[in-house]
Amino acid sequence: MFGHNFKYSFKTLLKNKMLLFWTFAFPIILGLFFNMAFSDIEKNETLDIIDIAIIDNEYYQENEIYKSTFKTLSDEENEEQLFNTTVTTEEKAKSLLSEDKITGILKLTENGPLLTVNQSGINETILRYVVDEITSTIEVTNKIFEDKVAEELMNGNKQIDYEKLHKEIMELVMNNETNIKNVSNDNLSYTMIEYYTLIAMSCLYGGMIAMFITNYKLANMNSVGKRVSVSPIHKGSMLLGSLLASYIVQVVGLAILFLFTIFVIKVNYGTKLLPVILLSLVGSLAGLTLGVAVATLVKSNENTKTGILIALTMAGCFLSGMMGITMKYIIDKYVPILNMLNPASMITDGLYSLYYYDTYNRYIFNIVSLLLFSLVMIVISIRGLRREKYDSI
Amino acid sequence: MKKIIEVKNLTKEYKQVKAVDNLSFTVNEGEILGLLGPNGSGKTTTINCILSLLEFQKGHIKIFGSEMTPDAYDLKRQIGVVFQEVAIFNELTVYDNLDYFCGLYISDKKTRESYIEDAINLVGLEKYKKFYPKQLSGGLLRRLNIACGIAHKPKLIFLDEPTVAVDPQSRNNILEGIEKLRDGGATIVYTTHYMEEVEILCDRIIILDKGRILAEGSSDELKELASIDEKITVEVKNITDKVLDIIRKFKNVDEVTLNMNTLTVTYKKGKNNLEELIECFKSNKIKYDKITTEKPTLNDVFLNLTGKGLRD
Repeated sequence: MFGHNFKYSFKTLLKNKMLLFWTFAFPIILGLFFNMAFSDIEKNETLDIIDIAIIDNEYYQENEIYKSTFKTLSDEENEEQLFNTTVTTEEKAKSLLSEDKITGILKLTENGPLLTVNQSGINETILRYVVDEITSTIEVTNKIFEDKVAEELMNGNKQIDYEKLHKEIMELVMNNETNIKNVSNDNLSYTMIEYYTLIAMSCLYGGMIAMFITNYKLANMNSVGKRVSVSPIHKGSMLLGSLLASYIVQVVGLAILFLFTIFVIKVNYGTKLLPVILLSLVGSLAGLTLGVAVATLVKSNENTKTGILIALTMAGCFLSGMMGITMKYIIDKYVPILNMLNPASMITDGLYSLYYYDTYNRYIFNIVSLLLFSLVMIVISIRGLRREKYDSI
Repeated sequence: MKKIIEVKNLTKEYKQVKAVDNLSFTVNEGEILGLLGPNGSGKTTTINCILSLLEFQKGHIKIFGSEMTPDAYDLKRQIGVVFQEVAIFNELTVYDNLDYFCGLYISDKKTRESYIEDAINLVGLEKYKKFYPKQLSGGLLRRLNIACGIAHKPKLIFLDEPTVAVDPQSRNNILEGIEKLRDGGATIVYTTHYMEEVEILCDRIIILDKGRILAEGSSDELKELASIDEKITVEVKNITDKVLDIIRKFKNVDEVTLNMNTLTVTYKKGKNNLEELIECFKSNKIKYDKITTEKPTLNDVFLNLTGKGLRD
């Protein structure tokens, strides 16, 4: 039955010209526009070295990880130089910031790092990412230290040389090259950000496909839904068959988009193509399940549901910085929970993280978050479908 | 006789409105039960409750002796439904629509193919298998709608106003198809507000209004409930009030109305009413034309019971 439903869901989707346009043609048209708009500025435009100031205080001087990381990232002889760092007094730093000579000020305090910026932009966002990454490295270091101490105590060693242990761990951490890399030398241009935006948007637009096909399963949406509802088929199985068909159509759309961007408008994804594709596949799943959830949970007509889904998608995209990275920074700073629940943010964060970090930790975190988001959406959708009602007398 | 559907004290309310009010009835094996009533009388709501598409506040519904619930898949497997609205995929051909809906019940492909052919033949869509719905006329769409509901050869079929807005040819085709389904042993619940259809098709009729049963029985039994026995309509040219008064005084006359040149005389009962009326015209030198005489219809029964017509 799953196969039967899958087959006809697939056929139905492929015969709907409007959906095919939005899934296949619209992203390509948008890509073409990006290409026309950005091709001239592409050559000269890479991310600049960012001027920053760090407050010279005891916390900074005692923090080897911060010192070492910023030293590496600010080394003029290093091809991957990301920052131009001035270690100075708070007064001087504020003066530089007010004169717009630096992007931001980093001050280490007893309670952790404090970042001050004048405005929100991509440079400010990069600075924040770097600080976040260092903070998480410190947390890892502290955890290793605690574990080592606990291990020593378990082994009966009550005279631990804390200084030596700390030194060993610091060497271990410092010997690992810094996790943060220079984005300016890995082709993450503003144009690329726009293409990633396009990919992320295409992923979420898959929700329209899923919503369209799910509406056919709902008794309160149309007469076909009524007929399906009186059939002896478990709605969960029916939903999964439709979801798979929607996913395949969505993946075909994405494949066409990738082929078009790579071979026609010559977008260079560099060495990150496979992770970008993987994230797109998972992002598409999240988009589809969001569409199913809106279809099943919103008790209204098709137009209202479409409006709600588009509004959710566009709001998600806006808050995740798709229409200007500034917004992502603001949300990350003031309402981080919003971006943790926002699939658009998970997709863009995952894509950008491929360029900000050498490790895949943040990328994997976003993949897992998207999978969890999808799972939650499927579960609440199936629960919503358990007893669909409609009102008509 | 085996009871296929048992509805007991069914009550369905929408906020302040009682759509179905303490309804109880049964449907016996092999019969066609007609649910007759005006729009909003609760016919469709009753069917939706029976099919577990709607939750209801009170009552019990049994189908084939078992409680009907949304998860009663074994019961659902034996039920076919033809909804009032055309319920098909516009993106699929006639054949694919039938294959999809039949496939929800019949998994064996060969059996399904044979069933689909039978359904296509039953509704006369042989020439249109590869057509898309947008290429079909309204009547043909209705036929496809019926075929999709009955292709899996259900034992119990609900037909909810299947002939609304169809051309006479398609209507005849649909009615013939329903008779064939009955002859094939199916039990049918047929809702409509076309009284002629229930008179032709139904073994038993329930007349509903405001969610309640007004009357129940065969067509003839129900007509017994009407206060009139005969209605005579005559085109008259020079009738006077005096003559109308004479007619009103006839022994069995119930009501006399004159609308333009159309005189309608209803009789409570009695024989030779027409003869008496013509004698009156002759003796008073009234010119007349076109005389029709009718027995009471179900609409008259409904009118008698509620004071309003079925299609009001």
